[in-house]
Formats: sequence, structure tokens, C-alpha cells
Amino acid sequence: MSGDTERRDPVEEKIKRLKAEDFEKALKVFRQKLNQEYVTYLHSCVHCGLCADSCHYYLSQKDIQSLPAYKLSLATEVFKKYWSFMGRNVSWWTGAKKLDHKMVREWVDSLFGRCTLCGRCSLNCTVGINIHYLIRAARSALVSLGLVPPGLQSTVDTAIEKGNNMGIPKQDWIETVEWLEEELQEEVGDKKARLPLDKKGAKLFYTVNPREPMFFPLSIVAAGKIFYAARESWTFSSDNYDVTNYGLYSGDDEAAGIMSQRLVESRNKLGCETLVLAECGHGFNSNRWEAPEWLTQKYGFEVRSILEVVADYIREGRIQLDPSRNPDPVTLHDPCNLVRLGGIVEEQRFILKHAVSHFVEMHPNREKNYCCGGGGGQLAMTRFAQRRLEAGKIKADQIRATGAKIVAAPCHNCIDQLLELNKHYKLGVQIKTVSEIAADALVLKKAKAG
Amino acid sequence: MLLILKAGVIFASLFAVVSLSVLVFKTFSFGRSSLHSEPRSQGGKGVLYVFGRGMMPWEKESAGKHLPTYLGGLVYHTGIFAALVYLASRVFSVELSASLILIFRWGAAVGLLSGMALFLKRILLPVIRKISCPDDFAANLLVDVFLAFTVIRTYVESFAPFYYLVAIVMLLYIPVGKIRHCFFFFYAKMLLGSFYGRRGVLPSGTRRD
Repeated sequence: MSGDTERRDPVEEKIKRLKAEDFEKALKVFRQKLNQEYVTYLHSCVHCGLCADSCHYYLSQKDIQSLPAYKLSLATEVFKKYWSFMGRNVSWWTGAKKLDHKMVREWVDSLFGRCTLCGRCSLNCTVGINIHYLIRAARSALVSLGLVPPGLQSTVDTAIEKGNNMGIPKQDWIETVEWLEEELQEEVGDKKARLPLDKKGAKLFYTVNPREPMFFPLSIVAAGKIFYAARESWTFSSDNYDVTNYGLYSGDDEAAGIMSQRLVESRNKLGCETLVLAECGHGFNSNRWEAPEWLTQKYGFEVRSILEVVADYIREGRIQLDPSRNPDPVTLHDPCNLVRLGGIVEEQRFILKHAVSHFVEMHPNREKNYCCGGGGGQLAMTRFAQRRLEAGKIKADQIRATGAKIVAAPCHNCIDQLLELNKHYKLGVQIKTVSEIAADALVLKKAKAG
Repeated sequence: MLLILKAGVIFASLFAVVSLSVLVFKTFSFGRSSLHSEPRSQGGKGVLYVFGRGMMPWEKESAGKHLPTYLGGLVYHTGIFAALVYLASRVFSVELSASLILIFRWGAAVGLLSGMALFLKRILLPVIRKISCPDDFAANLLVDVFLAFTVIRTYVESFAPFYYLVAIVMLLYIPVGKIRHCFFFFYAKMLLGSFYGRRGVLPSGTRRD
């Protein structure tokens, strides 16, 4: 942060006003977020620094503040100071530090501003520390101080207040779906093709990223086209359809739980078998893996990615794809939350290999992929935008090396970042979701479908 | 005198084990998280992976890109293990063949060289130096001295009192300083393997298509 920004910065103003009781409150929250697993990790770092090359921030910035071990140490030092014998009594020896104004400032700058919670450092840690979870635990403490950077906090607030992170009024959503339904009918040449809303008893309850109705309506049409071709029983909800959950990124478990609970309630109300999550990396991680923990309940229904569903359609012969309809070379970006943290690794490859003529992998790929830089709430935190673009260079280089003309990215956060990288690094590629590419390759059997 | 020092080594070992156990017990006071999400695969598969193939330099980028450090670390820790076995054999007066003594001597010696190299790296590389605290340097040095004394002890029997003294100090330091990772390394790795295993991420499926 520059001196200029600091003077006018609302975050800095808040930090300056913090009192002893505020730090106590933050420590209490930090303590609550720690469990046996996290504490084991906090005892384990050997400061080997071999995590350096795993972080796209460190690779682009080459500064100590971006080093995963350093970011982890910000949490570890505070932990030691308050919850370890040596840290409490011989702080200087163990590097234990108090949670004070300086430390909070560093937490905001490094833990929010230099981390996308992508988990690449965790997989590369020589010891095996789930580093990004500890960083998120520290972010949770900052939530209690009201120190989530404004852009990210307002995204969470909008989702909580309006029901979706873009603040789309219900009527607008309904009208958009109706308009897109007409588009779908035109596309498939069938007036009976539907984008169903609130269809009780449908098999699949499909959710979208609110950026789709706002900026990427073709993603919705693409999904609708695939469901149409597969003759699927599915529906949207007119109330809760937002797959995103920025509480994952801000570290606000309570807000995150509220958002996920809404989808559960809508699924229950509609009586659908399966909650199907659109191509959204963090939405998948949130609703598939984290939400049952936030809500401390086992879901009695299946939660799947649209990619799993489409891959099943291909395997079962419910849809046919003609790869010659996508003749340009296509590469695939692996969104961290979907792949490294979500376990959806091969489905998108399976779909693309059936949908395009020339598929080329980036390297490294799958769970070893590099983060594009768009996760962790970075796209919402404009104060760190320049760093985000610089940190995306490694992804831009990866894309360029493939020689692909199209980048498939099954995540709207990633798509936004890749669009910026495309412009900034002059990559000259098209960025599409996997569903869009699959929909372009669909061979429709009109007689059957009609 | 030697008998007292040997008893001291046993006492220090017990102290290390009990203190580490207390430390582990204390981690449980933070509460265990019971998982509610439906697993996609088995945690055990991930655990097997992280302790096996996942430690290979071609699987783990941090190892592959830093091969000298990775190999240095392997040799260092193998040397420490050899030195600890040798220590036990001396404390309990187990007869060792000449070839076994040679193995322990060389194990400790090569381990010592690796340890010193890692110590130098910590001092010389600004990035590593900046993330290090006195505990990091002390732990490394203490173990290096123990390895050096082990090597000397394999040659000179009369060096035993100094050897046992250093061993006692090192063992007492295990639970209070960085050397505690000798236990936490395995536990943390197991937790990580289990986490990514149940999510179906590990074992790794990376291929160069």
C-alpha cells in the first residue's frame, strides 16, 4: 500500500482505531477457528522455504511477503504468542509476536492481498501443511474486526441482503430466464424447449453464477441446450440460484453458511434429487465440501458439478458431440477450487476430448495447476488489482505456450481474470466455459427431442 | 559417571516422549472437526500417496525444483536416524560389529555434512534467513553437534561423556523447539493426505498428455 492510499484508506483508518478489546475479540475468533488439525499444522512448519516456487504471487513479486511460509508465519507467530509455552515465555527465540496494529496491517496486506487461497503451496509443502486453511482462519479473525477489504465485504453483504452477489432483483432474474428461453428455442429450433423455473419434483436443481445472467447469458443457454439434448428433468429456482459464496474467501463462516443454506432450502422446497452446481470453482468447493461443515449437517442429497453431469450424459449416450464443430486448438485451465480443492479433475477433460478436435494440456496441469490469480476474492478487492494482474503472468505464459486459440475455464471467477490477462498480456485467445464448448458441439436429434 | 550419563539419556528420552505426548494432547483441546461432507474417495489412499509416491521429486514440485536441498534433507534425516540408533546401542551397551559401526559412522558423517549445508543455506539465502528465528538455527546446530559427536564417539571411546551430554541436551530440546517436527511431520502429512484423499484429489493423476 502506498503512503497516499494509506492516508485515505478506510481499512487503514479502521486499523488505526483498533483498541485492546478489539485485538482480544480477534484472538477469540482466531482461537475458535483453530481445531486439532490446524494446531498440528501450526506446530509443523520448519521454515524450509521450498514452498516459494509454488506460489504465483511469489513467482511474480519475488518478495518475502508473498512467500507462503512467510504468510503462514504471520498466523503461526500469533498462535505461538498466545497458545504455546515457549512462545509465551521466550517470544524472541521462537519468533512469537503479538496481534497488534502492525500485525493486523500485515495480515490484511499479505493474507488478503497476496493469497488466492488456491492451495498450491499446501500440496507442495515438504511437511504437508494445509497452509491456505490457516490463512483463511486468520482472515476470519479480520472479519471480526471489520477488516475485510471493502470490495470483498460488499460482495458478501450484497449476497446476504439481496440473495445473490450481483444484487439482481427477482423479477429481473425471471425475465432474463424467459428471454434466454426464447434464445434457447431459437437455437434448438423447438418452441417446446424450456429453461424451467421452480419446477417441483425436477431431478436436478441447477444453480448459476449471477455473472451469467448479467454478463454471460450464453453460459445459461449452453447449459439449457445440453439439458434439452439430454432430455433432462431440471429446474432453476426463482429465489435462490446463486452458486457463489464469497464467505469462503472473506473467511466469514456465518455468512457462508447462510448462503449455502439458501440453496439447501430451495432444493428441499422444490424436492429435487440433486443440487447441480454451475461452472464456478469456489461455488463448487463451497457447496460441495465446505457448506456441510459450515452448517454442521450431512446433506441427504447429492451435490454435483455440471461437469460431472455432462460427462455422464456422454458416457450414457444421452448426448452426442461432434468435435469437428470446434476445430480450433483448445486448452484447459484447471480452477483451483474445482480441481485441487474440489476433486473434479478428469470430467472436464473427458468432455473436451469429445467436444473439440484438438485438445492441448497446459503444464503443469490438474491439481498441480497454477492459479490464474482470480480466486481468493481478489477480483473483488480492487486495492490489490495490480498485484493480481502481475501474479497472473505465469498463467498467461502457460496459455501462450500451448498455442491454443480457445481456453476452456470451468469457473466464472477464472474467466473474469483470464479475460483481463488476455487483454493485459495480449494473448489473443477466446475464453469459454466447458459447457459452452460442449453445447457448440452438440448434435441435436430433432425428431426425438421435439 | 558414565552410568549416570546413560541414565540421563534415558531420562531425557522419556522427557521428550512424554512432553511430545502432552503437546499432542494439547492440540486435541482445540477440538477435532468431524466431517459432514460426503467423501468422493478414500482418505487412506491420499495418506498412502503422500508417504510414498508423493514424496518423489518427480511428483512433488518443491522437491523436484530443489533437488540438492531435497536430497540434503533426506541424507540429513537418515543420518540423524542412524545416529539415534547408535546412541541407543551405546546406552544399552549393545555389541556392534565393525561393519555396523562403519555404517553408523558414515551415516552420521554424511548427515552432518548435509546438516551443515542446510545451516549455511539458512544463513546465506536472504529469503530463508528472513523467515528463520533463533530456534531454527539452534535446532539445526544442536543436531549437527550431536552428529559430529557421534562420529567422534565411533572412533574415540573416551569421548563418551561429552557425547552423552550433547545427546541429553538435544533430547531435552526436542519438545520445546523446532525439532518437535520429528513427530509433527508424520502427523501433518497424514492429515494432508487424508484431506486430499477423501476429496479425490490425491493420489495424483497428473500426466503429460
